[in-house]
Amino acid sequence: MLSLLIVLPLLGAIAIGFWPSKLSGESARLGALGLSTALLVLTAVIFSQFDLSAAGLQMSEYLPWIKTLGLNYALGIDGLSLPLIALTNFLVLIVVYSGDDGVPTTSPRLFYSLTFLVSAGITGALLAQNLLLFLIFYELELIPFYLLILIWGGKNREGAAMKFLIYTAVSGFLILAGFLALTWLSGAPSFDYAAISTAGLSTRTQLILLTLLLVGFGIKIPLVPLHSWLPDAYVEAATPVAILLGGALAKLGTYGLVRFCLGLFPQTWPIVAPGLAILATVGVLYGAMAAIAQKDIKRMVAYSSIGHMSYVLLGIAAHTSLAMVGAIGQMVSHGLILALLFYLIGVIEVKVGTRELDELNGLLNPLRGLPTTSSLLVLAGMASAGIPGLVGFISEFLVFQGSYSAFPLPTLLCVVGTGLTAVYFVILLNRTCFGRLDNKTAYYPKVTRTEQIPALVLTALVFFLGIQPTWLVRWSETTSAAIVAAVPQTAPPPIALNQTFMPAPSLKLQG
Amino acid sequence: MFQTLVDTIWLVPCYAFLGALISFLWFPSIIRKTGPRPSGYINTLMSLTALLHSVLAFSALQGQPAQRLLIPWLKVANLDLTIPIEVSSLTMGALVLIMGINLFAQVFAIGYMEMDWGWARFFSLLALFEAGMSALVLLDSLFFSYMVLEILTLATYLLTGLWFNQPLVVTGARDAFLTKRVGDLFLLMGVLALLPLAGTWDYQELATWAKTAQVDPTVMTLVGLALIAGPMGKCAQFPLHLWLDEAMEGPIPASILRNSIVVATGAWVLFKLEPVLALSPFTLSALIWIGGVTAVGGTLIAIAQIDIKRSLSYLVSAYMGIVFIAIGTQQTAAAQMMTLTHALAMALLVMSVGAVIWNCITQDLRQYGGLFARRPISGLSFMVGAAGLVAFPPLGGFWALLKLVDGLWTTQPWLVGLLVLVNTLAGFSLARVFCMVWGGSSKPMTARSPEVFWPMILPAMTAMGFTLHLPHILATLSLLPTWETFNQEAALLLTGSSVLGFSAAGLIYLSPTIQKPVKLPLPGLQDLFAYDFYTPKLYKTSIVFGVDLISQLTSWFDKYLIDGTGNLFGLATIFSGQSLKYSTSGQSQFYVLTILVGIATIGVLLCWPVLSHLSLAVG
Repeated sequence: MLSLLIVLPLLGAIAIGFWPSKLSGESARLGALGLSTALLVLTAVIFSQFDLSAAGLQMSEYLPWIKTLGLNYALGIDGLSLPLIALTNFLVLIVVYSGDDGVPTTSPRLFYSLTFLVSAGITGALLAQNLLLFLIFYELELIPFYLLILIWGGKNREGAAMKFLIYTAVSGFLILAGFLALTWLSGAPSFDYAAISTAGLSTRTQLILLTLLLVGFGIKIPLVPLHSWLPDAYVEAATPVAILLGGALAKLGTYGLVRFCLGLFPQTWPIVAPGLAILATVGVLYGAMAAIAQKDIKRMVAYSSIGHMSYVLLGIAAHTSLAMVGAIGQMVSHGLILALLFYLIGVIEVKVGTRELDELNGLLNPLRGLPTTSSLLVLAGMASAGIPGLVGFISEFLVFQGSYSAFPLPTLLCVVGTGLTAVYFVILLNRTCFGRLDNKTAYYPKVTRTEQIPALVLTALVFFLGIQPTWLVRWSETTSAAIVAAVPQTAPPPIALNQTFMPAPSLKLQG
Repeated sequence: MFQTLVDTIWLVPCYAFLGALISFLWFPSIIRKTGPRPSGYINTLMSLTALLHSVLAFSALQGQPAQRLLIPWLKVANLDLTIPIEVSSLTMGALVLIMGINLFAQVFAIGYMEMDWGWARFFSLLALFEAGMSALVLLDSLFFSYMVLEILTLATYLLTGLWFNQPLVVTGARDAFLTKRVGDLFLLMGVLALLPLAGTWDYQELATWAKTAQVDPTVMTLVGLALIAGPMGKCAQFPLHLWLDEAMEGPIPASILRNSIVVATGAWVLFKLEPVLALSPFTLSALIWIGGVTAVGGTLIAIAQIDIKRSLSYLVSAYMGIVFIAIGTQQTAAAQMMTLTHALAMALLVMSVGAVIWNCITQDLRQYGGLFARRPISGLSFMVGAAGLVAFPPLGGFWALLKLVDGLWTTQPWLVGLLVLVNTLAGFSLARVFCMVWGGSSKPMTARSPEVFWPMILPAMTAMGFTLHLPHILATLSLLPTWETFNQEAALLLTGSSVLGFSAAGLIYLSPTIQKPVKLPLPGLQDLFAYDFYTPKLYKTSIVFGVDLISQLTSWFDKYLIDGTGNLFGLATIFSGQSLKYSTSGQSQFYVLTILVGIATIGVLLCWPVLSHLSLAVG
């Protein structure tokens, strides 16, 4: 069952890419639509069979592969990967559907083929239960993404694609080094997650290994000093590619953080957690502040993404079960909201022809503007700013409430970050949607109903999960509790503001 | 029957919300044939249904004990978010008031917005407000109150920004959103911090907890201050009062709601939180100070305004300031009564002024004059509204203020003095507006100004009836003092101060011998009030400037230091005289360098606890 999620897109990529006879773009799109719908249906089936009360892996598949290397084909799913897989497959459908409008008609077959390769890579990495297998999938999506940015991107796509490639390759290299060293040092018989235990390693070894992995995944998320590939890659990539990059791919970084850094190093995690919480706070404030200064709305949203992924980091660092549920929820809601924002900005760019804040104006105008698109943009911006009733709020709130007991000050500073989010979205909305439309230039093509469907579907989901958050968080509750339970709880019970907020006060005070 | 009404009380916000959703159908991009008007009618009908439901529930509940309904919402990882709904005569009374004023505002809007094209958007937002406010009074949990307040912040942004192609509207909407959001975020911090202390967000349980709670006073003070920041924003208290003034750029029907009951949402949260706030004496005195400054400052600024709507909006801040004082002195019953009388009287005032603005097409007080002969109905409703707002027996405002003053009579006489001053100034301000609009001789803008048509007059007349009968209603609910407990000295003092305020304004503004516009001997002082203590300028030079500066710095830092593509690399190659090497490969080396530096930073930061430990062990 789980293999189908990987095999189907792989086969699809090959079929669309190497179809022997001539294949028109339209029929390639139909095929791709059919396939991605099938994937989504498959995900729904997995959801229906998923056991909410089981903390461990479900629907596991195991096939010995290369014994000498310790590489096994081991798959499994739990409450951490399930929501992310759903998100990925959902976004792939959105991308394939919107591909017709957002991507120039050059080589559609290659585009769909690469999209499915990416889908297979991300899903595979999320399902893999063997370190090497994870890494294979993790590297698998690298080249397709490079090509997707390079071929369909904007003006400076070459530099952006190269930057993305280098950063991500370094990330992969560090993770590989970390995994190899981890397996050899711990003396595990294979690279299977289950076989590896860091309990026997000294704290210093653990810390070095953990740092390798943290930096590797930190590039992918990205964490603040390592983020410089992100704005360029997101901005230069075409709308569907940006949706995949920000909505689905970035989640691999935070997924890795939970699965490998927290999951494999439960003893060392409390040591690095305070540092990570500070990094998260820096990320939140830095992303928001940088976003405020941007003049290009896509770049603004790209920087906002840095801030929003940092909430996930805060939740993971706090390692309470509430924060963990919130962090997983935040991954999904960030994926949905970012996809919606990028989609709408893509529509605006295509219709109006610019993304510059200084040139856009009055798009809410019901007759000559883009009223539906800009109304949805208001909603998406507000969802991102964490207005209750929309999906962004509840996951951020769970992260905050869950982290407050462990890191009060960073949490409160992150709350300030949501205020700054409101600042740049108000700037964006006031300039883009509000204001007076220039009558001389406002002859925009109409946005057709078919173009609006992806945005409407995403909005409906953002709304529904905001009002019924149970559907967002129920999947990961048991797993989160189990992940957190593995970490020795050094954080003091609910503490008050005036007490020190470091979970390792002895170390801190001695320093 | 009674139980059904109570059990289904959650439908009341749903009616309004449903109306808001249905209105979407009349967005210009969906239904065009019928025009947008049906959306307005549907919403008015929904408000009427909601009003009937709440009136029936209110009357059925008389003499019955309060009830609680629990609706499951979210239960995750030892956090239980069940929606508690409190059905008591207080919440039902508030519900009736909210629904009633909403109905007024919507009927008024049918008239006022006659020529507007944005009906669907406007009415759906009004309905969203209605849904939010009715939900707020029903929900008995701080967490859900916070959620509703945030949603209302968004609704304020959109509703103020209704006429979004005017620049002042756009900045007004922005400021309203951001100021309220600042308050909301502090409230969120308070919400986050309160749970580990109290273990609950239910107001009822919080009150029980507060009775026996032993909390570190510093912590409690910080939490208390965070909790009152949200209401400060909502109630437009200094220094978060600016938005209410700027929100006056929005349409008047929205101002009816905003000035009367939207601002009261903050006060409502304070009523509920009063036991928690009382744990920190510092928070209580902060409430008194904030309220006191706002009350005096607000009335003074109101007197200096030349815009009718703004003059009223600063009075709103001032009256909410009185509510703050009442809560700060733990006179919750007086605070609630003050909120009620203020809501009704202020709605009436805004409606009467709105009807005048509608066909005189100016908001500038200096262009008005002599309207009483042509607009006696509007004039009468303004008079009743003014009398109902200040302490003018036997109307509502008198009883509310009397109750508050009576409670402070022996304990805090200086506050009594302050309240009497505020009452005098408020009376002066209202009489000033009345004399400038309805008194004197007619001017070009008022020469042809007939009374407006029924959708605007009907709600104003109904509200006038209710304002006049409010004492009767209060008496039925046995909220008035008996003769034995009646504080005659306070009553005389308050009545005297109102009369003083009214007559002083009458003398100044009706007398032809005094030069108009009135100039104070100190023009600097007059400007200080007219420009709202220069608050907008203060914000611009402090917070706005600071955020802007930091964001520019961050962006610069990001562009030139973190991102290796910028000028830095270009400069390096120029200096080394090898500009030919400026190629992809050269750049990639630079990326690798940046990555390495980043890695080193993270590594050091992550290992810091251990590193510092090591150095200690070595040393």
